[in-house]
Amino acid sequence: MRGPSEPPDPELLRRMGRGDESALEVLYARYGGLVYTLALRVVGDTELAREVLQDTFLRSWDGRETYDVSRGRVPGWLMGIARNRAIDLLRSRSHQARLREREPLTPATEPVLADTGEMLARRRAVTSALEDLPAALRNALELAYYGGLTQAEIAHTLGEPLGTIKSRTREALERLRRRLGPLIEPREESWRRD
Amino acid sequence: MTDEPQHPLDELAAYALGGLDAGERARVETHVASCATCAARLDEDRAVVGALPLGLAPATPPPAAWPEILAAARAHSPARRPAAARAVVPAWLRTIRWPALAALVAALVVWNVALHRELTRPGPQVEALARRPGRLVILQGTGQPDASARLFVAVVPGHGHMAIAGLPALRADRTYQLWFVSATRPRSGATFGVDRRGRAWVTVDVPVPFDDVGAILVTEEPAPGSATPSGVRMLEARPWR
Repeated sequence: MRGPSEPPDPELLRRMGRGDESALEVLYARYGGLVYTLALRVVGDTELAREVLQDTFLRSWDGRETYDVSRGRVPGWLMGIARNRAIDLLRSRSHQARLREREPLTPATEPVLADTGEMLARRRAVTSALEDLPAALRNALELAYYGGLTQAEIAHTLGEPLGTIKSRTREALERLRRRLGPLIEPREESWRRD
Repeated sequence: MTDEPQHPLDELAAYALGGLDAGERARVETHVASCATCAARLDEDRAVVGALPLGLAPATPPPAAWPEILAAARAHSPARRPAAARAVVPAWLRTIRWPALAALVAALVVWNVALHRELTRPGPQVEALARRPGRLVILQGTGQPDASARLFVAVVPGHGHMAIAGLPALRADRTYQLWFVSATRPRSGATFGVDRRGRAWVTVDVPVPFDDVGAILVTEEPAPGSATPSGVRMLEARPWR
């Protein structure tokens, strides 16, 4: 668990807005590994993943992306930037066909970065919840999130009706939400005190 | 929308995953702008989606990645970037986009009809206001969970209108008060009561630059209003998308 003296994520972003490089460093230490992991999963190439990693943190630093406290937690916001940048790269380099042939999601093992206890608990919970999803639901989720495919594209790719894909996507998120509960609070608990 | 047209849950899930085309996205945004239930559901879906990378096998960035990022960050120091002080900007402070504006105009028409016999009609000046650049803010019940409000503020000058529903009627010695909270102090934007159905239509003053506003609240106060918020928070701002 993060100690009481460690600044909450929104505070880091405020300090970054004032040009505090140490705040950027702390944010990178917290989430750099997760951003890189996500980018690597989407683009499937270490050099491209590194490009996404750098772009994500620079965008959070230079104001091209602004954090909105009312739209969720900081890590989710960072993952959104990284995912979008990775998908943009993927589309620009026509890697979609390669992505579709990739092996399915590998469950998380022991983290290699300096995870906090809170992060470790979340990793385990998310991994377990994903493993328990039926393959069809997980597949719809992964093609949308990591593959950057629209629902219509997924339906075409899998040869399934569009309505079926939409229902699977919704069902997958509902099951995950029920399993993960308070571990994925939609908002920063600290924002009201900011 | 494929199912449950009143609450398009399939589309909300797909939207949170970035899996809709532009037309579908616009329809979802229009709906969410006027549906607090779906706005809350979208928040939950986004939270789940944001956690998905935690299920991946962790990979370690190359050691050279951080020095590169730091060097690039220094090349874009705060002194050189115009938006340095705006690292945290609520979405509801952004200029409204057309789908939400269309939803607002539709809501105004419905509201006009609904209140025709009971309250002063907002009138054509409201629709004229809604067609100008402005911002739509959704306030949702905190002290009163079923309550909600839609606030539309024109960018220039700083005034607007707010539609409220679901607040309990007050005694004559009490009033609801709208507050714009900025870095300096909360400033009152309006005081109002509600009709027997818990509704009101209020003309609002925005006494501070809207870009400086960090929160918007409705509290219950002693009539005719307070200098600073002292009562229960009944409504608080939510993003329009």
